[in-house]
Amino acid sequence: MPLPTSRFWSLTLKEIRQILKNRQIIFLLLFPPTVQLLIFGLALNPAVDHLSLGIVDYGNSPSSREFVAALVANDVFEVQSFQPSVGALGQQVRRGQVSTGLVIPPDFGDRLAAGKSVDVQVLIDGVDANTAGIAGGYMQQIINSYGQNLARGSGMRPEVPVEVSAQFLYNPGLLSSWFFVPGVIGVVLTLTGSLVSSTTVIREKDTGTLEQLLMTPAQGWEILGAKIAPLFVVLMGDVLLASAIARLVFGLPFRGNYFLFLALSGVYVFVCISIGILLATISRTQQQVVLTSFFFNVPLIQLSGAIAPIESMPAFFRTLSFFDPLRHYVTIARSLILKGVGIGALLPEVFTLVAFAVLLLGISVNRFRAQLN
Amino acid sequence: MKRVFSQCLKELNQFRRDRLTVALAFVLPLAVLLIYGFAIRLEAKNIPLAVQDFDNSFLSRTYVERLFATQQFVPTPLEGTTPTAALDRGDAKATVVIPPDFERRIKSHKPVTVQALIDGTDVNNARVIQNSLRATTQFFLRSSGLVPAQAASPIQPHLRIWFNPGRREALYIVPGIFGVILWVFPSMLASIALVREKEQGTIVQVYASDLSAVEWLLGKELAYVIVGLGEALVVMLVATLLFNLRFRGDPTTLIVGTVIYLGAAVAFGLLVGARAGNQTGAVQGTAIAGFLTALLLSGFIYRIENIPFPLSLVSNIIPARYFIDITRDAFVRGTGWIGVWYAPLAIALIGGFFFRVATRVLHRMQFKD
Repeated sequence: MPLPTSRFWSLTLKEIRQILKNRQIIFLLLFPPTVQLLIFGLALNPAVDHLSLGIVDYGNSPSSREFVAALVANDVFEVQSFQPSVGALGQQVRRGQVSTGLVIPPDFGDRLAAGKSVDVQVLIDGVDANTAGIAGGYMQQIINSYGQNLARGSGMRPEVPVEVSAQFLYNPGLLSSWFFVPGVIGVVLTLTGSLVSSTTVIREKDTGTLEQLLMTPAQGWEILGAKIAPLFVVLMGDVLLASAIARLVFGLPFRGNYFLFLALSGVYVFVCISIGILLATISRTQQQVVLTSFFFNVPLIQLSGAIAPIESMPAFFRTLSFFDPLRHYVTIARSLILKGVGIGALLPEVFTLVAFAVLLLGISVNRFRAQLN
Repeated sequence: MKRVFSQCLKELNQFRRDRLTVALAFVLPLAVLLIYGFAIRLEAKNIPLAVQDFDNSFLSRTYVERLFATQQFVPTPLEGTTPTAALDRGDAKATVVIPPDFERRIKSHKPVTVQALIDGTDVNNARVIQNSLRATTQFFLRSSGLVPAQAASPIQPHLRIWFNPGRREALYIVPGIFGVILWVFPSMLASIALVREKEQGTIVQVYASDLSAVEWLLGKELAYVIVGLGEALVVMLVATLLFNLRFRGDPTTLIVGTVIYLGAAVAFGLLVGARAGNQTGAVQGTAIAGFLTALLLSGFIYRIENIPFPLSLVSNIIPARYFIDITRDAFVRGTGWIGVWYAPLAIALIGGFFFRVATRVLHRMQFKD
């Protein structure tokens, strides 16, 4: 490996100047990552609470009103409207105005007072299958424990021989942004990194300045190295920007070693740059880059577990996700930011990520050099 | 009118000749359909759970068996000494610790506490784990006769899940994918077409002709709505076959809604192309932006009610949100026009706005000073 020559540095300087002069690239480096982090962090929220509840209370007695009050006590359900009849309630569920409905029969209070059992009807909008399942579970739990308390007589503590005491580690407040933001840092790096690096490479191809570079005495590796080095620097700037937003806006704890996080993010930045160069070598024009980038980025993001959980995927896609470098970066980011583990707990992910970086960089450099000749 | 049609024909011919773009225009939507359709599942399943059983008695083993009897948890060995080590490494999402006197205390009618350490990183999973550990414990108590049956509740809930009684998640996800695909790709194709004219300088010829901006853009609009309809047909056909979707009731909402939605998507693409100068990077950036808003602010994955206040206002002007209302109604709910009458109106309003702005940007049909 020859030492960096003055030629390499002048090429690097030329690239840096080009990036700094191109206001569009500066914009792409700053604006989309910020907006993406904010939108992802705020909008992705799987919580099942404040579900709108429509009620038909045929009983209309103190006991039925007490029952309704108990149902909405812990904010999972929220009374949206009282309806005069089952028909009207059905209309509301059908039009999606309420997502759950409860029908209390006319003899609710009388039967309970007489010590008989009473049936209530629960309607759940099943369009959102996952939410419907969780809502149904909550509904049954709340109604059962309310009923059990009634049966034992009020005031008595429920007697449970085995109790589960649950303790949430790493994210005790169960904030959904804490879960999503570390993964989204990876998503943002993928989108921005591949976009910026493919744009800078393909533009030289498009405008023909690449041929001019080839006519200079510069070696292939010098041209490419001088392209990659400034990209690496500006994308590390994006890592700093993203972690600043994560820390200041979302209050993420960053429990692990921050320099380890930076170093491993650097490895992932190489993956992103390689993908960008690969895109640029596959496509002939900038328009094709726009389309082919979807081919790479959509599966990369979807299989990474940054947006939807990996465990719930079918077995085939769970296996496929191991071949997704972003998946390993997301695991690393979550572990370092939330769990605060050392590198010892992350060895498999770190090795895989480094392997991906080396492999992808090798492939993209080779393809790029093949095109140079 | 005739000039609009000839513009449209010219555009379609140009599109057809670019083989790679044609291929990508139909292959990419299908690829997105397959990945999202098969890989997005939200119901928590296969959660790795480690158990540290200090008691190792008959009752504690029965309890552990119960925990894994549902498909929700898969056992994972607890290597290392501390129960948190497996959580740190990510090998387990939860560890259940059963105390040494588990059986003895139950038999002598004293309360026992089972400790559950849950990885709170994945918030949704964490809640589901807690709930199902509680429910399984209740079930264990009742099935082993440790809780008297008379403690049963006098109020019996009868649950009925409407529209999707089997709770098939594909019925939720796949109609949502239509909203993402039919927004992203038609708008991207339209904006690329416009930028190409600028890059290659053919737009100057249009400037020089007596074609008005509205006529020129309408021709492109029409052409890419036709391309989009082709994409819609292919994607919906494949989806109905692969994911077993069926029309519930009136298909006219879907037909009208799709045409209007494609119109809005193409208008958005034209607006982006008109504003973008001749830099494809800007187009790509906007394509990502359009993709993300259609993905995140439309209620495609998680409930739209969970989007917090300032952002929830933005989600009101995302056409994908209204189109997904239409597709979910057409394929799952089946209410027809009474349920979704507002959606095509909202999309048309937003799309009309995009088109208006695009024509204003180009209205002089001249170089910028």
